[in-house]
This record gives sequence, C-alpha cells and structure tokens, in this order.
Amino acid sequence: MEKVIIVRYCEIHLKGKNRGYFERVFMNNMEKALSGIRHEIHRPSGRYLVEKFDEARAEEIVERLRRVFGTHTLSVGYKVPAAMGAIWEAVLRVAPQAGTFKVQSNRADKHFPLHSMELNAQIGGRLLSERPALRVDVHAPQSTVNIDIREDGEALVFCDLIKGAGGMPVGTSGKGILLLSGGIDSPVAGHMIAKRGMKLVGLHFHSYPYTNMQAREKVEDLARILARYTGGMDLYVVRVTHIQEAIHKHCPEEMMVTLLRRFMMRIAERQAESCGAQCIITGESLGQVASQTIEGMTSSNAVVRRLPVLRPLVGFDKTEIVARAREIGTFETSILPYEDCCTVFLPKHPLIRPDLVKVERAEAALDVDALLEEAIASTELVTNG
Amino acid sequence: MAMIYLDNAATTPPNAAAVEEALRLLGEEFHNPSALYRASFAAHKRMEEARRAILSCIADPAKFALEFTSCGSESDNQALFSGARRGNFVTTQGEHAAVQRTAEELSRRGVEVRFAKLDRFGRVDAEDLLRLVDERTSLVSVIHVNNETGAVNDVASLATAVKRKFPRALFHSDGVQAFGKIAFRLTNDIDFYTVSAHKIGGVRGVGGLFYRKGAPLHPLIFGGGQESGLRGGTENTFAIAQFAAAAGRKFASLAADAERAARLRGLFLEGLDADIFSALSPQDGSPYILSVSARGLRAEVLLHMLDDNGVMVGTGSACSSKNRYSRVILACGLDERTADGVLRLSLSSETTEEECRCAIEIINRCARELRERMR
Repeated sequence: MEKVIIVRYCEIHLKGKNRGYFERVFMNNMEKALSGIRHEIHRPSGRYLVEKFDEARAEEIVERLRRVFGTHTLSVGYKVPAAMGAIWEAVLRVAPQAGTFKVQSNRADKHFPLHSMELNAQIGGRLLSERPALRVDVHAPQSTVNIDIREDGEALVFCDLIKGAGGMPVGTSGKGILLLSGGIDSPVAGHMIAKRGMKLVGLHFHSYPYTNMQAREKVEDLARILARYTGGMDLYVVRVTHIQEAIHKHCPEEMMVTLLRRFMMRIAERQAESCGAQCIITGESLGQVASQTIEGMTSSNAVVRRLPVLRPLVGFDKTEIVARAREIGTFETSILPYEDCCTVFLPKHPLIRPDLVKVERAEAALDVDALLEEAIASTELVTNG
Repeated sequence: MAMIYLDNAATTPPNAAAVEEALRLLGEEFHNPSALYRASFAAHKRMEEARRAILSCIADPAKFALEFTSCGSESDNQALFSGARRGNFVTTQGEHAAVQRTAEELSRRGVEVRFAKLDRFGRVDAEDLLRLVDERTSLVSVIHVNNETGAVNDVASLATAVKRKFPRALFHSDGVQAFGKIAFRLTNDIDFYTVSAHKIGGVRGVGGLFYRKGAPLHPLIFGGGQESGLRGGTENTFAIAQFAAAAGRKFASLAADAERAARLRGLFLEGLDADIFSALSPQDGSPYILSVSARGLRAEVLLHMLDDNGVMVGTGSACSSKNRYSRVILACGLDERTADGVLRLSLSSETTEEECRCAIEIINRCARELRERMR
C-alpha cells in the first residue's frame, strides 16, 4: 500500500486553449516547492498525484504544496490494487473513528465487478459494523471516504480534503515589483497579487547608518517567507540615505515622507524596467497613515510614467490586513521592532494632504536625477530560491 | 582597514596562545571527565586544577567553592533561584538583564522584588538598599561593576551591612565586569559571586558561580551529577582549561593593566569633543568602561558610522521602538535625549594607546559630521 498525495487545482480548467500552459507552470511550481524531497508527480486526469516519497515526509510535502498558488485542495491517501481486500485495508486507514460519513466511489474502470453504488453500500456497511461510533449521512457528512477505481487496475482511497492556497499558478500573470518596507502591509499586498499568478520581485529601501542591519535582515526574512508561496523571490535593496539627507537639508520638514515616496516610486519604475517587471505593487491602504491619503498617493503616483501601480490593500482595514498577515505567516516577522527608513528624520507633523504643485516646487530644490542615479547604483540583489 | 575594537565589555578577543592550547585539548583530550579510563581521569584532573586556580584568584578555597556553568547569565539565574525562594528579594535598578529578568520571573512566582535606587553614575544608593532589606529578605543581589557605566559598588561593605541588619539574608553579586579587572577578594558575607570567561580573554561557553561553602545552592539543570550535583551536563573541559589560563594571565598583571587602562580612559575623557560628548561614568569607576553621551544625536547611527570608519563600540540604546532607552541609564536619572546618545567604550589589556588616539579622532569626526547632517 503506497501513500500518495492528491492535488486538485483551481481555475486552470477555465483557461480554454491556454490550459496546457497553465498546467505546465503549475507543475513546475510544485516541483520547485518540493525541491530537496524525493518524489514523483504524475497527472492522471484532472489532478496531480504525488508518489514515491518517503512516507515520513508526507506532512511536509502537504505543507509545501498547499502554499503553491493554484492548489485548490489536497488529500493524503493510498494507492492500492483495485481489489476489495486491498481497498478495504486502505479504507480502514483513512476513515474516521466517529461522526457522520458517506462513501463515494468513482469507477473509471468499468471492469471492476461492483457498480459505484454497490461499492459504496458494501464499504459503508462494513465500516458501520466495524466502527460503532460512525453514522451515515449522505447529504452533509463530516467525512467522505473516496474510492477511485482507475483504469490502470489500481484504486485511490482517501478521505480528508486539505484546503490549498487557491489562486493561479505564479508565473502565468506576468511579473511585478513589490515595495517591501518591513511592515505588516506590504507582504500581504504581495501575497494577494502573487495569488493571481504574478511573479514577484521585491524592492527594499534602507537608510544605513540611520537604519540598522537587523531591519534589513527582517525584510530579507519576509521575502523568504513570501518566496515559499511564489516559488522564489529576488529582492533588490537600495540605499536612500543621501536622498533623505538631501530632503532633510533642502526641503520643508513636513514633506520628508511625501518626497521620499516619490523617489521610491521612481526607483521602483526604473528597477522594474531593468528586471522586466510590468507593474509596481505597494501595501498602501487608503488613509492608513499620513502618506497614504488620496493626495499622498496622487503625489507619489505622479512620478510613475508608464507602469500601473497596484494597491491591492487600498480598501482594507488594518485589522483585515493583520488577519491576513497572520494567515500567511508574515505577521510575527513584520512586528519585530526595527525602524525602516520612513521613520528616519520623521517630521513631527507630516503633510497629510500634500498639494502636488507645492510638492513639485519643493522638489525643485533637489538634484533629482543625480540622487536617483546614486541610489540606483547602490542596488544590491538578494536571491531567494 | 584594521578595526579598532572598543567593545570589550561585550566580549573580549580570546588570547591567541590560549586558543591554540584549547584547540589542542579539544583534539587530544576530548574525553568525558566522568568516565573511568586514564584519559578521562586526565581530563578530570585538568578541570579540577583549573577550578583550584580560578578559585584562588579571588577566594579562600577553605571557605569558598566554584561551580562551572555555561555563562554568567546561568550563574546569576542559579544564584537567584536558589537564594530567593521566599519572602522578598532585594536588588538594584542597575543590574544586568540576567538579574533583572530573573527578578521579574521571581516576581511572577510570588517572591516580592524590591529595587534600590541608583545615583547619577549608576552606583546603588546604599542607604536605600539597606532600607529595603527586612526580616523577610531571603536574598540581596548587587552588581559589582555596572556593565553600562562602569560604576563600582563596594559589594563587600554592602554585604556586611546587609548581614549586620539581617544575618539570615543571603548576598549575591554579579562580578562579570569586575573579575580579573579590579582588585577584589570574596569576604565571608558574600554567599554567591558570578563570573564569566569570555570577558577576560576566555572563550564563550563557560561561566562560574563562586559560592560560600554551606550556602544553599540548587541545580537548574538536573542530570548526571556533575559539578557536585549542582549542574548536570558533560563539562566543557577545554573551555574551562582556557578560562583558567586567561584568569591566570589577568590576575598576574591586574594592577598594572588597570593603571594602564585608566590612563587610556583618561585619553578619551580629554580627547573627546566636549561640545558633543559628556561622560556618564564616574571618575572612580572601572578603568575599562567609559560611558559617554552625545546628547541629541542618536547613538546607534553614530555606531554605524564608526563601524564604517573602523571603530567598534557599544551603545546603550537601539533603533527599536521597544526598549529604546537603556533602563539603567534612565535609572541614573538621565533624560531620554541623553539616553538616546549613549556610547559605551570599553577597553581591554590588549587595547593600545595608538588605537585610542586614532579612535578619538574618528569618533570626534563622525560625531561632528552626524551633527552637521542632522541640522
């Protein structure tokens, strides 16, 4: 009796003629997620079967695969010869001890001596007499014991469905550059967009010596967590120290964050162009902080010339974002208390509703191009996966 | 760029000869000292020699014993959990985290904890300490040399005063920054005394707890009966041997080294830009620690700049929203702006005059530059 993992996918069946492409990408992403673990993945009709792995690592495989976008549900089950004795042995392993259940058979091989209904009745009956705490409920059972009789003379037996990450395979919806600050929001924003199939690269700004190496390490850790969902994620790290110093020296104090955001967007677009990303993704949520008012967004958006800026969290409350961050496992890292560059030279009263004309006038005091060039030249690449 | 290391209160570079000797032992004398064959017995004997050597550095072996632990923090924990089992525990606001956090845990476990005030340099207010001690006090713990300011508490006199008031109260002192650095002998009124190897040129992974014979001491780690049943776990024999070697060297030249360190410390006091820096350490503190504040500048930023320019120093604050300011510095009565700018320069017997002169120049230059940038 061989332990196997069955993986079902989400929207790929909707994709018509592109289906083959989507399935290939999904398969590659699963292979990548399982790198380092011996296994084989096959695709019998409409789902994937992971086989030939060390059974002690089944849980780890499930954990890794459930994070791969495109995964709808997974089941751990058994592959056995399609004969009553072997099927029954497998049923005993997967069936619950108590509660309500039903048996659901699927007979692709019509040579199997019992019809599906007969098989359901026989297995169900034996289970009832063997496990007195079980009750049958065919309408809303707590557990469903599945038996798939396949054409190759084997049967799959499984019970529980484990929920997968959903969404679409990463890589099927292009590539975007994610501004990662180290806070709670940006990893969640990245996760949401990656879920729709977009490949991510990260972009982090630091202000060493005003920020420390721990703050940067924290962002690298966040990228590593996201990479588990996205099949790897490169991170670009850019030093904006001199930009902040120049703003501090030459511009009104209350415009620090507004002006810095404009530099960040410019750098993001430049970096996107050089790495083939097609959009900029931020964790902005309307009104959350002074720089995320609609006026703030207007002023930072104004410097982006070509690419769309995706702000998937724009309509989310903080509590909703926190809940998602906990779910995807970035929250604990995000709340580590290191300062990001936005808090350096933080004005006492930041501008809440910056006026674009005034912002541009203030910015005229700076040699924007030279500062940009210098910051971009400081770019370092951290690769993940 | 040759780095100048001025964070010796955090850890000291292990002496090269001692490292070589420790590596030899690690390779050749790896045997478990509890086993019964000759090689094990040799390892056991070497460890006991080390124990006697370290013990005699500051204590009368007829009255005191030494237990090897894994670090100073473990020694502090064991002394506190052994001594403060009931009533109240009296300590100071100037303790290392190993005592401070343990005190908080004792409080959660139902022991009342009382903190004595500090003076402006980080010395405990002796009067306040004695006022807090009463007939229900089970243990008093006072740090010997404050690890942030270098202030020295006269623990021998404090212990005597405590015992005079209530002879049943036990007395512990964390001597991690004092051992091998300032002249001191354990007196009969001190029951427990914590030391650590890596602050005096030893390697990390071994600490010690001196205890008066007869003082109540209980294990934190139960196991195979090592360390007279006080600490389970196979002994770190090679690090212990190296600890003894390091201690031997320190105590051989303790007075001369301290005098030299005081002179180097004086160079900083004279040479650091008085417009920017003010000294927080007392004149009569440990010659190895000088705490200064660049009030209005953020010390961590300065630390990074110094790091980039070849000088490694410690700081009393961190760029984090939690525990931003050193609680000890605030307990000295200094304000947050002062606390935000605290640099700790700590020396060792290896620090050279040239390094100090060079560091002073770099520190002044970086601080002036930062002040200019923050304007």
